[in-house]
Amino acid sequence: MHRRHLVVVSAVVLALALVAGSSSGQAPSGEYKIGLLEPLTGPLAFEGKRHLEGYEIMRDMINDRGGVMGKKITFAVGDATDPTAAASEANRLITRDGVKIITGTYSSTLCGAASEAASRQNVIYWESSCVDPRFARRGLKNVFRTEIDGTGFGWYNIEFIAKHLAHRFNLRPNQLKIAFISEDSSYGQGVTEAARQRAKQEFGMQEVASEYYAFASTNDFTPIIVKLKQLNPDVVHHIARGNDAVLFWRQSREQQFVFKALVHAGATGYGSPDFGKALGADGNGPFVLAEPGPGLRLDALRPEAQKLEREFTEAVKKRTGAEPYASHRLAGAGLWLLKLVLDEAKTDELDRFRSAVMSLDLPVGSTLNGWGVKFAENGQNANERVQHYMLQWQNGQMATVWPEEFTTIRAKWIPLGPWDQRK
Amino acid sequence: MDPARTLGPAQIDVLAQLFVSTILLGGIYALIAVGLTLIFGIMRVVNFAHGEFLMLGMYLAFWSFALYGLDPYLVLVAAIPLFFLTGLVTYALVMKGVIRASHNVQIFTTVGLSIALQNLALVLWTGDFRFVRPWHASVILRVGASAFNLSQVVAFAVAVAFTIGLFAFMKWTHAGRVMRATAQDRDAATLMGIDTDRVYRLTFAIGIACVGVAGVLVSPLYSVYPTAGLQFVLLAYVVVVLGGLGDMVGALLGSVIVASVEVVGSYVVGSAWKEVLYFLLFIAVLVFRPAGLFGQRGAENLGV
Repeated sequence: MHRRHLVVVSAVVLALALVAGSSSGQAPSGEYKIGLLEPLTGPLAFEGKRHLEGYEIMRDMINDRGGVMGKKITFAVGDATDPTAAASEANRLITRDGVKIITGTYSSTLCGAASEAASRQNVIYWESSCVDPRFARRGLKNVFRTEIDGTGFGWYNIEFIAKHLAHRFNLRPNQLKIAFISEDSSYGQGVTEAARQRAKQEFGMQEVASEYYAFASTNDFTPIIVKLKQLNPDVVHHIARGNDAVLFWRQSREQQFVFKALVHAGATGYGSPDFGKALGADGNGPFVLAEPGPGLRLDALRPEAQKLEREFTEAVKKRTGAEPYASHRLAGAGLWLLKLVLDEAKTDELDRFRSAVMSLDLPVGSTLNGWGVKFAENGQNANERVQHYMLQWQNGQMATVWPEEFTTIRAKWIPLGPWDQRK
Repeated sequence: MDPARTLGPAQIDVLAQLFVSTILLGGIYALIAVGLTLIFGIMRVVNFAHGEFLMLGMYLAFWSFALYGLDPYLVLVAAIPLFFLTGLVTYALVMKGVIRASHNVQIFTTVGLSIALQNLALVLWTGDFRFVRPWHASVILRVGASAFNLSQVVAFAVAVAFTIGLFAFMKWTHAGRVMRATAQDRDAATLMGIDTDRVYRLTFAIGIACVGVAGVLVSPLYSVYPTAGLQFVLLAYVVVVLGGLGDMVGALLGSVIVASVEVVGSYVVGSAWKEVLYFLLFIAVLVFRPAGLFGQRGAENLGV
């Protein structure tokens, strides 16, 4: 009996200690702790780790400038392997580490669950990279996103095809034959459906096909390619997720499927550095809507953005030995915008934080990636302020080629010629 | 204008290409399925870690190529004894303890092994997609209007050779007869003086050697990453059930059937439907011919 009594007492003491520990939250030690959720193990880990690098590099840059609210930023990191882990790790960061702001989470499959959990505890959720359009449509007052949403990707892709490609094929937009093919996740569908809608309604493009496939179990694209080849599209709009980009491109070459251009959006598939590693110069040609890469004209940006760009690129190169990937840039810009809000709000109390978010108004070219800022009431940064760029694979490198006022490199192979003449 | 409506020379070219693709894709599936059907058929163990041994084979090819510039077809020679040994070790450490346990225990064990191997690969080699690009990976043979990828042709040839080899081994060698006897009735085989533990060890090692070789052979065609096995292994189960447990020739034919459903389904109906189609086929086979399309009636209950 005595022993049981003792167990109960010590449990209560321990619980009290935990509560006390969490309520003290940000200790006045000159540090401000932010919760950071990324998939660090499991199938999404390769991107999650790049995001983490981007966050850490930007954190150091901010701390060199005096941190936020007079304190140095530190991270409490959670491993969001899947949606369930994302929610439970969000809870852990809130209750155990006492964070008032959570940021992350890279993937459209994770951000919904993580932000839902944060919302239940009235903690600010600051998303830097998921693009699922549903994210900002839930009426949650504590949820914000710095990156464009998936419909914005579709919008930009069609903008590029209609206004930059069509006339170079000597075609009007409504004469263009376009084939849509996409992996079937919420990401692929969100982008593709937005693009289809704009292509048809605004430009009257002729849709010749629209195919969805499961990227994890598609081992042969030949049947799709043989079918597309007969339909003879001018443009292939392909949202790919991983290996499917390499496989589709390689098998299109095998089948001598010649189209005038291929356009993709996002950091996966054609947007992944792996595409270049797999194909080298054989991968010349596809366009990828993404954050800027080599060829970005710094002088097209505002002075403070130029400084950020230069410093961030150098820091990433120093740490990874390579140009920043899109994932570095999304994380970096996301954290920088959070700093701007905290500078303005001077508190992490939700109402004042929220009005600081809404008061930010910066034109395109103001910060990292050439982004501007103007948040809507639903917590989404305006798509037209989140400036995106068209990159093209040119001899193993993704070069920034559009909008031309921002770039020093020009798009090549318009239209794409025969497969062996794209050097 | 529906291209499938008129039958002219262009349509004949399309049919020829679809036929070629079916056969070559079937070859890849067969390569993976023969080892699985062997283990499934003889040991009555559903090896959920099969795809992970495929992934290990792909990594073996990748590292040999990246570090020493070795062509996957050279690595193939070393892969057979290496994966045979891996099979023996895995059997001794993991499978031996559960071979007489219930199916549930075996499933948990092999699923656990699968997840452990995936994460081991993730920790050791990161989640990056890797590529093996030997000179022959981009060689394309053209016959008429049809294109054949050389690596796929080789994979298909090896699949056929392995199927014939295993078929002959099972049918005409003493070890093969002993294996079949054990599959038919474990207790009777023990009474006849057969060391069933040795039979299982050998079966598992041969099965793993087959899938290791498959991994090396598909490495020039697909990217290498920790969960690469999952891309194929579900299909391999469908193939094994279609062909009949433990039936090598059935596995080869089953592979071609699954590939044809996939290729024709993707072309005619759309690729979103392809999995619906072959799982419908899978269910139909389980309902109407539970022993597999080519298996003998009642074989599904043997040794269970």
